[in-house]
Amino acid sequence: MPDYDVAIVGAGPVGAILAGQLAQAGARVLVLEAGVAAGRTWPEYQASVEQYQAAGIKVPNTPYYSTQEAPSPNVLDIRKLTPGTLPADTGYFVQDGPLPFGTDYLRSLGGTMMHWLGTCLRMVPADFEIASRYRQGTDWPIGYEELIPYYAAAELELGVSANVEDQAYLGIEFPADYVFPMRRIPLSYLDQVVAKAVDGRTVTLDGAHHQLQVTSTPQARNSMPNPSYNGGEGYQPVGAYGAPHEGLRCEGNSSCIPICPVQAKYNPLKSWGRIEALKAAGELKGDVEMRTQCVVSRVIHSGKGPIEALEYIAYDEGQTPDPPERITASIYVLACNSIENAKLMLASDVPNGNDLIGRNLMDHPYVLAWGLMPESVGAYRGPSSTAGIEILRDGGFRSQRAAFRMEVRGWGWDFATNSPYSDVEALVGDGLFGRELRERLAERVSRQFAFGFLFEQLPRATNRVYVDDSYLDPLGIPRPRFQYDIDDYTRAGMASARQLWTQLFAHLGASDNTSYSEADPGYITYRGEPYLYIGAGHNVGTHLMGNDAAKSVVDSYQRCWEHENLYLAGCGSFPTIATSNPSLTMAALAFRTSGEMKRDLGLQ
Amino acid sequence: MTPDELRTHLQTAIEIEWSTIPPYLCARWSIQDGRNELAAECIDDVVMEEMLHLTLACNLLNAIDGEPALTPPHARLPSYPTYLPHSDKAFEVSLRPFSRQALETFRSIERPAPGHAAPEPNRWHTIAQFYAALRDAINELGPEIFTGKRDRQIDSSYYYGGGGEAFPVVDVTTANLALEIIVDEGEGIHHSIWDGDDELLGESRELAHYFRFDELYRGRQYVEGDTPASGPTGPPLLVDYSCVQPMRPNPKAADHPEGSELRALTQECDRTYSTLLTQLQSAFNGRPEQLVTSVQTMLELRYQAIALMQVPVGDGQTAGPAFEWRPSRDAV
Repeated sequence: MPDYDVAIVGAGPVGAILAGQLAQAGARVLVLEAGVAAGRTWPEYQASVEQYQAAGIKVPNTPYYSTQEAPSPNVLDIRKLTPGTLPADTGYFVQDGPLPFGTDYLRSLGGTMMHWLGTCLRMVPADFEIASRYRQGTDWPIGYEELIPYYAAAELELGVSANVEDQAYLGIEFPADYVFPMRRIPLSYLDQVVAKAVDGRTVTLDGAHHQLQVTSTPQARNSMPNPSYNGGEGYQPVGAYGAPHEGLRCEGNSSCIPICPVQAKYNPLKSWGRIEALKAAGELKGDVEMRTQCVVSRVIHSGKGPIEALEYIAYDEGQTPDPPERITASIYVLACNSIENAKLMLASDVPNGNDLIGRNLMDHPYVLAWGLMPESVGAYRGPSSTAGIEILRDGGFRSQRAAFRMEVRGWGWDFATNSPYSDVEALVGDGLFGRELRERLAERVSRQFAFGFLFEQLPRATNRVYVDDSYLDPLGIPRPRFQYDIDDYTRAGMASARQLWTQLFAHLGASDNTSYSEADPGYITYRGEPYLYIGAGHNVGTHLMGNDAAKSVVDSYQRCWEHENLYLAGCGSFPTIATSNPSLTMAALAFRTSGEMKRDLGLQ
Repeated sequence: MTPDELRTHLQTAIEIEWSTIPPYLCARWSIQDGRNELAAECIDDVVMEEMLHLTLACNLLNAIDGEPALTPPHARLPSYPTYLPHSDKAFEVSLRPFSRQALETFRSIERPAPGHAAPEPNRWHTIAQFYAALRDAINELGPEIFTGKRDRQIDSSYYYGGGGEAFPVVDVTTANLALEIIVDEGEGIHHSIWDGDDELLGESRELAHYFRFDELYRGRQYVEGDTPASGPTGPPLLVDYSCVQPMRPNPKAADHPEGSELRALTQECDRTYSTLLTQLQSAFNGRPEQLVTSVQTMLELRYQAIALMQVPVGDGQTAGPAFEWRPSRDAV
């Protein structure tokens, strides 16, 4: 008799969805989280907000705490890679290059989704079959149709605000009576300025014409509930964990990344809170037990066949850790993000006959273009982006170059130039202070805007995470080591984006202030033009799913082909990254997977 | 009671609810940032629920084909100090900084009706008596009076942040529910210390307003098992009345010399207050989307009021918001 029905590694969004679904069906679930339990009360969460506010340099992981024993990667550790001095091993990651893998994640209760933006785009139907349609990448084992009900489940779990009429493009279809839980977040003033100049206008990219449209972005951010949701049942927005009257609407605090101070934006604490509430009310059929500061160090196996146990190390920070312990379960789930999943599999020498674990690592290389509008566009009011251009996410051009989506960014030149802090510094340097400083700052910053471009990457075996016993973390577990590059398919997409933003800036009467420094880690060129990418935090594709055991790691339910009681869940299962921010699809897959697990356990 | 009399009383209900809001806001905004957090949270919750009560009172009046008024000449706006409209004048309500005196007033506003108090639309002693009289009238007049236009009702899209949600009042049942929520959130349900949000709204149970103020006033928390008679028996609740901006009670623009900056700032704040009332008036008369616009005005009002509370006016006191009707030329 195993200790638990299900053992889940990782207390992030996928773990929360699976634990909630399975425990409601009657399963006894154990969750092992490597990081700390933070944010469990309102004051504890406010401490994170204060940590963010007090920090001089603000990056996605700034508000959150990572222990030495379960380190998290930090974007501040990303260095320009120089041949001959590799690998670079500052921080947690070890990088072979040729380019740095520029993304972070968070090992803590709630996981990386604590600092996501909240974008909840569905994938477009073509994304599931780019090999058949465009002879690039690989097809998914499931299509858009199959995912429709699971997308709806994910949109309820995360609390998505959007209007169906905005989101039905490029073949995305909804059931006739479907509405999102909440109405769309209003377009920002900047969005409206851009829409006025752009809507219906045709641009020419690589000789082909595209008619443009600015589209409201679906977001897991509380807005006005739609009384027609669920056949007229309506929807009650979910407030903050531990403070249910806070965060019932987005208040425009303008710090979604890295932390929404009121939790109007979804984070996985809300899903954990829902499970706790059911448990407290005696309405949870099964049970969920959470153990934090427990780092899973090995997946125990004897070659092929079922997994036998998980080995984990419980620790108190700075103390000698306990000797490893083992737990057993009927089903094991690794849900600690694509990189940690792959790392753990490889470090455990789990059979990897087709040598695919860790390979086909993808991200959305993210490129910014920034400029100054002729007049104020009210920078820094509300979320960083509430609208974008989505219709370039698919088209015949995908046989030649990467598709992309474009965000309209309302936070000025924020991380392009570290604005507004850099503006303050520059103006103070000019000797300004007091009223004049405030006025000049307001004049300068309020006209700033940027467009952000997310490019698809194709799955490449040579882009990968692997492990090497010469680089270990403080618990003696291998650190993730990377080989990463951006191919010409993706760079050609960047060249199209440059054509787009050049034409758009002209239509807007805006100056183009974009400039990229060769000294930056993400500096690359394509056909003589420079680009600067950063990681989008969308690490995808290290254990890709497929219909063919020889060519994939997991099946369409994220079950390991070689070990029927082991699931690798999360973005690592994506065969391709396409152009949508991956969280919504990740959540939808988790709901689909929970159904298969219930069947495994004989639960309804 | 005739339908017309009921409409008049519902307009009074709106005025009662509105009259409580500026005193709560003054106390709330006088609390210095990061201090007395429990008190601040308590007042925040209460103000938001008073706004729900205001909204539900407007829904009630709209449901029976009335026209809610929040601006003169149809609305009688409070001028502080004031008695609550149609009350028995047992206590006056003032604009004060957060203090024991303010808490005494807040307890008076939210005081539960004694078990034997009769419904009373005029010269009421507790707000519950007043609403009980309205409830009786609605039940007596029956379904025929619900002839109001549905699109004047504020639904769950708009209200948030406190306990409960706004819902359309369309018949006797929803009208009774609205009245019950107004009374129970303030004074407690079934003569207990708890509000009825768990029973009425499927939300978590909280202390009713009166008992939340009572906790602060007595410096001790209510715990499970306490009753109105027992008073709070839990751990001490520390309140530091010194971390408060000492606003001079019942400020007016006219307190400051003509042509002075303070007078101009107080008038500016009055204008924002008046814009807010104008937007709310419009929202409750067929343009609910004005509630979205009004959020910005609410924030503006807060900034201006808090700024006034930073300015010393002598005797160790500061200026403050007057909440006087002063419409601007470009009001919506």
